[in-house]
Amino acid sequence: MFFRMVFRALVRQWKKMLMIAFTIALGSSLSTAMLNVMFDVGDKVNQELKAYGANIRVVPQSSSMVSDRYGIESESFLLEEELGKLKTIFWAFNIVDFSPYLEGSTEIKGGEKVRLIGTWFSHHLSLPTGEELDTGMQAMKSWWSVSGQWLEDGDFEGVMIGSELAKKYSLEPGDKFYVMEEGFSENPLIVKGIFDSGSSEDDCIYVNLALAQKIFNKKGLISSIEVSALTTPDNDLARLAAQNPDALNQVDWDTWYCTAYVSSICYQIQEVISNSVAKAVRQVAESEGAILSKTQLLMLLITILSLIGSALGISNLVMASVMERSKEIGLLKAIGAYDNPISALILTEIFITAIFGGIFGYFLGLGFAEIIGQSVFGSYISIKVTVIPLVAILIFAVTLLGSLPSIRLLLSLKPAEVLHGGH
Amino acid sequence: MFLKMITSSLIRRRSRMLVALLAVAIGATILSGLVTIYYDVPRQMGQVFRSYGANLLLTSENENPLLSEDVDYTRNLIPADKLVGLTPLRYETVRINNLPFMACGTDFAGLKKTSPYWLVTGDYPKDDSSILIGQSVAGAVAAGIGNTIVLTGIDSTGSPFSEKFTVSGIVQTGGNEEECVYMNLSELEKLMKNSGSLDVAECSLASSGSELESIAGMIELNVPLVKARLVKRLAKSEGTVLKKLQSLVYIVTLVVLLLTMVCVATTMMAVVAERRQEVALKKSLGASNQSIVCEFLGEGLFLGAVGGVLGVFLGFMFAQSVSVNVFSKSISFQPLLVPVTILASVLVTGLACLLPVRSATEVDPALVLKGE
Repeated sequence: MFFRMVFRALVRQWKKMLMIAFTIALGSSLSTAMLNVMFDVGDKVNQELKAYGANIRVVPQSSSMVSDRYGIESESFLLEEELGKLKTIFWAFNIVDFSPYLEGSTEIKGGEKVRLIGTWFSHHLSLPTGEELDTGMQAMKSWWSVSGQWLEDGDFEGVMIGSELAKKYSLEPGDKFYVMEEGFSENPLIVKGIFDSGSSEDDCIYVNLALAQKIFNKKGLISSIEVSALTTPDNDLARLAAQNPDALNQVDWDTWYCTAYVSSICYQIQEVISNSVAKAVRQVAESEGAILSKTQLLMLLITILSLIGSALGISNLVMASVMERSKEIGLLKAIGAYDNPISALILTEIFITAIFGGIFGYFLGLGFAEIIGQSVFGSYISIKVTVIPLVAILIFAVTLLGSLPSIRLLLSLKPAEVLHGGH
Repeated sequence: MFLKMITSSLIRRRSRMLVALLAVAIGATILSGLVTIYYDVPRQMGQVFRSYGANLLLTSENENPLLSEDVDYTRNLIPADKLVGLTPLRYETVRINNLPFMACGTDFAGLKKTSPYWLVTGDYPKDDSSILIGQSVAGAVAAGIGNTIVLTGIDSTGSPFSEKFTVSGIVQTGGNEEECVYMNLSELEKLMKNSGSLDVAECSLASSGSELESIAGMIELNVPLVKARLVKRLAKSEGTVLKKLQSLVYIVTLVVLLLTMVCVATTMMAVVAERRQEVALKKSLGASNQSIVCEFLGEGLFLGAVGGVLGVFLGFMFAQSVSVNVFSKSISFQPLLVPVTILASVLVTGLACLLPVRSATEVDPALVLKGE
């Protein structure tokens, strides 16, 4: 009997119920879209901030930058063969790109001393674990504007030179020059590309790592590594750990080690690269943290506003639709119905509608979230399962909040008055 | 008569009208709040991006030193609201225990603004006899905070100097700043026995993209001996990331607005639709369709206007609290948003009223009144 009444009510007033379902669907899609975007915005913006380049620099333990400032050859090196190990650390998945460097100074024939740097531009790496990846400097220097082209991996004649150097020796892409090193004073280097980086790199020559190792006779050695990693903004624990990880107690240490703080990633890099010191480049790491937390807070507040908006919207409509059924309630009471079954009847009707609307809205909201992800970041927003219970609770709560007070109000009215029409 | 009908209907049906008004006010609040944030985000975020430090370097044209007076002149050229900080830097080689290091003379107040990412253990130097040393320097010469170290070197006249300093702090950056010794510019000038020349000046400007380029162009045009170089890494990346963030807020605003407006419209429709009996009664008493539509529209427009005004204030309050919480700054009021918000809410409510009223007027009054 009860279900027949509910069913009949739903069918008879399908237009009205459709409107309620539609509004609930809108509210639910809005909440779904905003919550999904909010949970993912940190990762997405983090990815965008990789445009600023490396946030970790790895150097040999005893090296100091005094050497590169004065052109003194550094005596300690890292091993090229260990580079693949970067992809075996706990947070390997967070390491977006890395690039090794071998720096030294050389002399251009008929010119002055210049810095020559060997690196990977876009290097294909096959790891012992069977993983394949492409990494290198090209992806990490998004701000370089290059005329000519980027060097290809395995090009043993080509070089890229900085714009200041090119101006000084009036070199163009395609030109040749010689460096005064053993075995190279006869073999020319060919300018493949000229880059403008807007920094001191503009006075340097960049070549493939293998070529630099040959020029400086440092087979298998590198002098530094730049790593671009996705990190979590620092908190007090991370700051404490950055000073001295050993000072932490076991629980804190585990939390720190298993969170992608820049300091814990540095620590893990030091574990796998022998004789190395990994340092956070504070300019990038600190600013990333600031921007990430601001963006997340901003999105959180916008999400809260839209949640409040959809909650009020839904409860408002539910209230309006319950109020207009005063006649029906009056009639039910007049023919002897108790208050509780009446409330149950109306609530069941509304909740059945809400469930349909909510489910439809959830999928609609996923669509909106993907539209946002695609149009802003050009990638899919990852769908979080935690959103489902959140939206369900929200819809349930606001529907109840919207209907209960008005049902109570209507039940308190006298049937005679309502039916007579004098309200 | 018309006004009396509208006002009495609004007052009589208090609770329902309150529901409708609430719906309109929510829509208007979201509209004005989000649009205000959308306009203010680039400006506020630009400030956050300044934690990356200097995005413009002033160096000298050719081999000449950069003159302090040119830098001071440039400082006045840059619009004050765009300038976050400007720091003069002068580098000289000094020795500590016979090890060579770079000594840098600078202005610490400016440095804190152009390099906010520095991690200083201890303090920035407060007087001329204290210095800030990089972490590598501290390691190399085994000096700690409070220790006294002796800087030696050759001044500009060619005679040697030797001076005692107290280490007030140690700086960590992860870059080659850790190789330097920092002191007040005036002190370095005293050591070197010449003043007025610099190596570089770092500027941190709250602008990006073409605006930054035009400031650099303006400086080069007005100060012939100064070369203004963009730090491309920051200038270019900032533009890209900021554009992404702004388009994020833009599209989020769009989606939220679209959904909220539809939500407002359905609520209005529900409120109006339940008055079919009233419409039928009026019709059977001889009211023309036009006058009924006019009356409902009048009510809707009134609600829209009141809700819009409410929304303007609530929205601004929301935007203000967001701005204070996220960026710890107050937001600028957009006067243009007042008419836009009110107009939008009047339009949405007007449209939402019109549809159900029209369908109600088309139905035979007898059927509606009978309760079909």
